[in-house]
Amino acid sequence: MKIFDKKDGGIVQLIDKEKMKEWPIELPLIFIEYIRNNQLKTYEGSKLKKEIEQYLDEILKDIAIPGLIKVLDGDDFEETNKALVRIDELAKKKIDLVKPIKPYVEKLVKKDNKEIRKLSNSILESFAKAERRKKLAEKRKIMQEREKEFLAGNISGEEYAKARKDYLILKE
Amino acid sequence: MSSKIKQEKWDIGAAKKLFQEFLKKGIKDEKKQIKLPEHTVKIDELDRELTLDRINNLTDSLIEMIYKTGRPAIRLPSRTSANIIWDEKNDLLLLGQQIMEKQFHSLASVVDITRLMKVLEKINELLIKDLHATKREIFYSAVQLFKDQKYSDKCIEDVATMLYTTRNSTHIVASAKGSCIGRLRIRDKNDIIDLEGLGSGGWTISPMLDNIEIIESDAEFILVLEKDAAMIRLAEARFWRKYPCIILTAKGAADIATRMFLKRISKELKLPVFSLVDSDPYGHYIHSVYLRGSKRLSYESPFLATPDIKLLGVLTRDLEKYKIPNDCRIPMNQTDIKRTKELLNEGFVKKNKEWETDLKLALKLKVKAEIQALSAFGFEFLTDQYIPEKLTTGDWI
Repeated sequence: MKIFDKKDGGIVQLIDKEKMKEWPIELPLIFIEYIRNNQLKTYEGSKLKKEIEQYLDEILKDIAIPGLIKVLDGDDFEETNKALVRIDELAKKKIDLVKPIKPYVEKLVKKDNKEIRKLSNSILESFAKAERRKKLAEKRKIMQEREKEFLAGNISGEEYAKARKDYLILKE
Repeated sequence: MSSKIKQEKWDIGAAKKLFQEFLKKGIKDEKKQIKLPEHTVKIDELDRELTLDRINNLTDSLIEMIYKTGRPAIRLPSRTSANIIWDEKNDLLLLGQQIMEKQFHSLASVVDITRLMKVLEKINELLIKDLHATKREIFYSAVQLFKDQKYSDKCIEDVATMLYTTRNSTHIVASAKGSCIGRLRIRDKNDIIDLEGLGSGGWTISPMLDNIEIIESDAEFILVLEKDAAMIRLAEARFWRKYPCIILTAKGAADIATRMFLKRISKELKLPVFSLVDSDPYGHYIHSVYLRGSKRLSYESPFLATPDIKLLGVLTRDLEKYKIPNDCRIPMNQTDIKRTKELLNEGFVKKNKEWETDLKLALKLKVKAEIQALSAFGFEFLTDQYIPEKLTTGDWI
């Protein structure tokens, strides 16, 4: 176990990253996400939190991503297929987790295998949706500002209508 | 009886000090293996592939014997009490090197051998398919042959010793019995399980421990409870939130999965372990099984025993110290007295003077008491005073 010291003399113990090499390939990502979302907030002290964050980044860099890439870059269609099913599920839940493997999924769209193409497209669709959501959020923010400015009489009706049109196009 | 709970803030200082000692010792000993005495049998915990290898080697040697002599036989370590040795240094019950031979061609052993081979065949099947089965399922796989489950159970233990491995390595497991709650996160195959978030019942300790992995904990000690009633009390009080710990119970006698899981978490997390049992010979016996293993499964002791476990309570001396009312104390019967005397004759009790003194006091007073007797001072007495006070002052054996 990897040991991290708490301020009060206690410790936090996390599984050694070497052990994760034997795990199903998607599990290190789930672990990172789990500790970040559920446990990190329960640890007291910014130093401890920072050290654990660093360790989670190490797991991501050294274990999680190389594991996924190895399978996606390999020639075993069955393994690639299994990995893509898991990545597809993760992408639908938390797209940020699978962001580093996007270039590898893009390559897989060109493969001959129908199932692999279908899954890769589904994952890329999740990326596209996430990108759209991000842009929409940005536009929504601009729209709200434009609304305030329009109501205050600082911009013309035409300017407001243009902003509204941009926003609606993206939303559709 | 009115509430007797002192409104004190317990810092569990003694337990924290022990935790620091265990942590230092644990890090130092991490790569050290237990050294067993020379005259004892070494048992290995094996993965699926290696267990299958041993089965194949065994069957190869049997075939060779059939070709060479026509009189095959199986040799395995004897599990009689005469071959059970207490290793004082490691405080473990171990199997000696007496070997017994089961002949295939003898009329007296033919039924026994056939049963043994049937169990071996079933284990082989389980390992190949990567499945687990209970002892009951093994019995039902050949009811006519086994007649009674006690015979299939015996064969299961024989096969494990024959292969010089643990029963869990054979993929034959006992039904789930114990439960665990507290500051621990584990992985069960593809699932992450948070033992703080499963309600007051906690997580049922899986007998398929080869699928379990510890992934996170910030506990500082482990508390083993004899009874489920005490577990409910501690779970309701969310005891582990105030005092960082992992709590587990086997709901009575300690089963293999609970003992193995306790051994695993205490060793991997380097945490001190405390037990809370009834103040009676049966409770003390349960503590002793956690401590040094049982005689029946002595060949597995190194994988099941937790030799550093401390007896937190309920001690006979606590009855006076905490002034447990007389009507909450139970007079000892003849069986209790006999069992207490038997415990006093055990080498591991004689070695521990404080434990010996407490058992002698029980014999002198001829009383026993359950953990629940402490609720005479209020339901919260156990969680708000008794356990925290003992962990603060270091009042354990």
